[in-house]
Amino acid sequence: MVEIGVKIAPVAVSAADLKLGSGPVEGTGVRLSHAETKARYSLRARDAAVLDGVLGRKLPAKIGDTADGIACLGPDEWYALLPEGTTLPKGEGLPVSVVDVSSRALGFVLEGPGALAVLSSGCPLDLAKLAVGRATRTVFETVEIVVWREAEDRWHVEVWRSFAIWLWHAFLAAMHSSGGHAAK
Amino acid sequence: MLLIHCPYCEEARPEVEFVYGGEAHIARPLDPSTYSDAEWEEFLYIRSNPRGRHHERWRHTHGCGRFFNAVRDTVTDVFETTYKAGEPRK
Repeated sequence: MVEIGVKIAPVAVSAADLKLGSGPVEGTGVRLSHAETKARYSLRARDAAVLDGVLGRKLPAKIGDTADGIACLGPDEWYALLPEGTTLPKGEGLPVSVVDVSSRALGFVLEGPGALAVLSSGCPLDLAKLAVGRATRTVFETVEIVVWREAEDRWHVEVWRSFAIWLWHAFLAAMHSSGGHAAK
Repeated sequence: MLLIHCPYCEEARPEVEFVYGGEAHIARPLDPSTYSDAEWEEFLYIRSNPRGRHHERWRHTHGCGRFFNAVRDTVTDVFETTYKAGEPRK
């Protein structure tokens, strides 16, 4: 092993590290909070059956579908949001990629009857048509996010941590303006 | 907002989720070292640039991440159809 003499700073992965405050923040009909800490995995395979075998479970086959914390984002790509500390088998030697990306993203939760309006203020996708239990990658303004509709009025939003501070404040601004309209 | 039908997601999605990828169905040379300068220029730079039906590549970057092909009218900006990469020209 070659010693390259570079010290890598520990990555900021929590809301506290990013100085976002511990939340939650209440608005009119909407509540913004941090999702509990998760283990995140990026799963790739051309042949889903091989990945099914490695993980010992059936992955959702249709893009946008989710099952037991795993969302199908593309024809060969899945995103796993699992309880903290969960580890998945790596499938060494097989044509699959199982990568722990836990420190890559943060999760926010928007809840309440006003949550859809807050998300829609910056997301061009018609999220009202996203059925409960489905997830998709999309954008909020110019920031890439993964939106997961966990219940009728509960949305889990994954965002890469370098965009997290901006997105948090963009949500706060949207909550403020939609709250103002609701009060009229 | 322009909506583009992604053949992988099988639904119409907002244009800002996509990135344009240039003209479609341009085969990469199998052995570039045998190409003359003129042939290499042809491959690298010369495009059909039609007025009307245009076959082009798009990538659903902020969605499923996949490249696919589309037929778009360069005058009206209307997408005639989209189809998966690897399928024959439509």
